[in-house]
Amino acid sequence: MALKFYDKLKHSIRYWLLRRLPTCQQTVEKISQSMERSLSLRERINLKLHLWICAWCQWYLEHLHLIRETARAKAGDAPDFVSGGGLSNEARERIRRRLTNQN
Amino acid sequence: MDSHARFAQARYRNLDRFLCSLVRLLPASGYTTLLVQEVQIDMNVPQGNFPHESPDPGRWLDDHGDYLFKYAVFRLRDNTAAEDAVQETFLAALKAYKEFQGRASERTWLVGILKHKIIDHFRRADREAPLGEESDDGPEHREFFERPGPWQGHWNTNYAPNEWHATPAELIERNDFWKVFDDCLSPLPQRTASAFTLREVDGLKSEEICEILSIKVNNLWVMLHRARLHLRNCLELNWFTREE
Repeated sequence: MALKFYDKLKHSIRYWLLRRLPTCQQTVEKISQSMERSLSLRERINLKLHLWICAWCQWYLEHLHLIRETARAKAGDAPDFVSGGGLSNEARERIRRRLTNQN
Repeated sequence: MDSHARFAQARYRNLDRFLCSLVRLLPASGYTTLLVQEVQIDMNVPQGNFPHESPDPGRWLDDHGDYLFKYAVFRLRDNTAAEDAVQETFLAALKAYKEFQGRASERTWLVGILKHKIIDHFRRADREAPLGEESDDGPEHREFFERPGPWQGHWNTNYAPNEWHATPAELIERNDFWKVFDDCLSPLPQRTASAFTLREVDGLKSEEICEILSIKVNNLWVMLHRARLHLRNCLELNWFTREE
């Protein structure tokens, strides 16, 4: 009984907040900006409250950070995934000729 | 190595870092490179025991050509531009050979030059771009937030994020992941993709990217936001939900 009441309360708080806070569309833009600059206090509160009740935006934030972390870790490494694999023979020869002329 | 030599080396490492930041701050020009060379010669950098007395560009091309090309292609997203950047890198390396005394590994040194060439390319590309044209920042993906009734503007359940089970460490190793990553960036406009790679892969500061691409910071934020929105969705569709 008490549990059911608690669930109902949670539900209504969530809906009440969702109707008053910025939408997911606006929040997602703020999430992106939070990675570029420090947000104002009001923006931060709105964002925190939104993330508190919206798992989707919470995941969105985690994913952006995962992408950033992964990409930065790859920056110094050999990017082996590029299609083609390397210099084409034609380009290689062109560069070689240019370099020998220079020497 | 005695303590004095170690100290001298550490000092030059700091000098290197300082000079690198100097070059990054100033607009790239032949003059800056010249300046750096002169300063380094001036400082009488100790002659290391370097195995190759004269530069060997043919061997450079064999050893590092493919690596440098891949490095450039990932950032420039254009084969011809990447080939040019690699060629310019080798030419600059030939000229600046004195400055390289085997202190860093050859590849690190070449990649360092290539980075500047890539940034030069972005600057040039921007100057050559037609002015007055409405630039395209990337897809807005409004459909992600299309919902009937009072929940308009919240995630549409067809596009809403799912939980991902992955860590950076395991993704880095997967070449097929990076293939998907690359494919996901390709539908974006060139400039948006460049801004994204400079920010997220190379970790440049917002102000630096704005200066390189000569755009306003608000414009950069819009571009980054659209790139992230698109890339996240594309990765989820083609990688994270596909695997399960």
